[in-house]
Amino acid sequence: MSDPILTAEHISISFGGLKPVNDFSMSLHSGELVGLIGPNGAGKTTVFNLLSGVYHPDEGEIRLAGKRIDNMPPHEVVAEGIARTFQNIRLFKEMSVLDNVKVSMVPHAQYSFLDATLRTPRFRRIENEQDSHARELLELFGLENVADELAENLPYGQQRKLEIARALGTNMKVLLLDEPAAGMNPTETAELRESIDLIREKFGIAILLIEHDMSFVMNICERIMVLDFGQKIAEGTPDVIAADPRVIAAYLGEEETKEDPQNVNA
Amino acid sequence: MSRKTKGYLLNTAVIAVALLIFFFYRNSMMEANNKNFRLSVIPSVWQCCYLIILSASLNLVLGFMGQLSIAQCGFMAIGAYTSALLSLAFERAGFYTDKSGFNFTVVLILSFLNAGLLSALVGLVVGIPALRLKGDYLAIITLGFGMIIVNLINNLPFAGQNGLEQGSASSSLYENGLGFSSKQQVAWVFLAILITLFAVTIMFMFIRSKYGRAIRAIRDDEIAAEACGINVSHYKVLTFVYSAFFAGIAGALFSCCNGSLSTGTFTFANNSILNSTFLVVMVVLGGMGSLTGSIVAAVLMFLLNRFIKEGEWLSSAPQFVQTIFGYPMLVYSIILVIVIVFRPKGIFGHNEFSLINLPADLKRIFSKKKGKEAGV
Repeated sequence: MSDPILTAEHISISFGGLKPVNDFSMSLHSGELVGLIGPNGAGKTTVFNLLSGVYHPDEGEIRLAGKRIDNMPPHEVVAEGIARTFQNIRLFKEMSVLDNVKVSMVPHAQYSFLDATLRTPRFRRIENEQDSHARELLELFGLENVADELAENLPYGQQRKLEIARALGTNMKVLLLDEPAAGMNPTETAELRESIDLIREKFGIAILLIEHDMSFVMNICERIMVLDFGQKIAEGTPDVIAADPRVIAAYLGEEETKEDPQNVNA
Repeated sequence: MSRKTKGYLLNTAVIAVALLIFFFYRNSMMEANNKNFRLSVIPSVWQCCYLIILSASLNLVLGFMGQLSIAQCGFMAIGAYTSALLSLAFERAGFYTDKSGFNFTVVLILSFLNAGLLSALVGLVVGIPALRLKGDYLAIITLGFGMIIVNLINNLPFAGQNGLEQGSASSSLYENGLGFSSKQQVAWVFLAILITLFAVTIMFMFIRSKYGRAIRAIRDDEIAAEACGINVSHYKVLTFVYSAFFAGIAGALFSCCNGSLSTGTFTFANNSILNSTFLVVMVVLGGMGSLTGSIVAAVLMFLLNRFIKEGEWLSSAPQFVQTIFGYPMLVYSIILVIVIVFRPKGIFGHNEFSLINLPADLKRIFSKKKGKEAGV
């Protein structure tokens, strides 16, 4: 296999006495779809925050295509090619659906202040390009008919989709999805699966996703990493993970540790 | 022709017609030597012009970017004093003698530009540290910076407590500098109108570009904006500086229509129309995130202020009404409370008034009302 696109080596972070992520390593190849699972409080979202530059690891290093990104602020990490979605949906609620997607294209809009003020041909060309690109992305998720609605008026499932569409506007190499299926009904989850397949086909990017819906993860992911108390306790294909006694002990075997989908979005 | 282009053309046409009508109206009034027009209407137009620029520029920061800044009048003070002192300096150097002709026009352009640029520069110096804070903390620190600016000007040897009246630039602005007499205000009124149109148009261009999208994203969710690759602090400072620039221009307009300057005009809590609270009320009333709303609100608030201060109706009103209206600040705060309770998004909310969409908008509002009446 070729060199991995994203690697994290022995990263740790501590908040006071708490170590949400402890000596965590991973690698991700282009075109791969990897799941990150673990019980509540295992540190999954913290791993995402570390990878996307919200936190900086105390130890270890993160590389994207060979370049170190662990000390970059989030917007530079995005420019390098990591895009993410959030566990609790973070849309720009009072902007239109189309504008939401276009926000993630702002850094690629190579026109100056003067261009914008004078409405030069260059400004118009770039704006038109971005407009049609954003509409294409919306079409992927079947959102083209609501392009002019306010984002806050969309139903829940569409909001989740819009967040992914927005992340795709950043020209990413790696996409981090934080519980994309949370709070979705089975139909919506099936649609989401189709969209994710479509994204992989079309963009050929690596996707890392956190998910509590086990059937979803087991069906869609090629490889799964299991996190517990900030440490990786298992990694492998879905079959291997499902049979791993440590994983069963930490997570899958115990009904009561499963997250109530109602609470995820509370 | 796209709908957008049509909209632009329609707006341009309507504004041009309105300007033309005003032009003929002014000429006929001048011929008739109408005193009311010269002493009341024209100064009002001037005041409305700088209030419009001020509230629109504050809306960029407060409405579109969601950052509560109350230093706007400080920036305006910088603009006012820069332009006034610059024009006085030119006058002393003998660059111009009467307030007309080519040389004076050059001085005007220079004063306006410098007023804007110096305000923007101070905006940069203030904005870089201040914009690390959010919400109430930002409000407090900008309030502080606004006061610092005013106090600094107060203690400048050549500006002085009573402004240019008694400082070392002892002659009044009215006679020598930028200040226009009422007749000159009539003559130069199109300067004010054109500058306002220009400023508002440029702000519209800013909002309807990547800059506008970026700052609205910052308003709605800073973390998500950062996750979309937007350099949040960069855009915050940029917008703050941009807004300060226009506040400076408004300040220059202010010094044009005043005979003298006093720093008291720009302090945080004064009784005049010009204080940062009044501006915040304007922006909230018009709709945070609506430039056209700011324009409408600026004119409305100006008229209200006049109504309170100069209305003859007040002397025949009941005693308690007179007492309340004796403190205009009290009235503004009551308005603010009423707006927040009954129409928290302001007159226009996030929407812009647009001529081309007017029929559709009216239809929608009308059908909504009908729906409500029918109990839907």
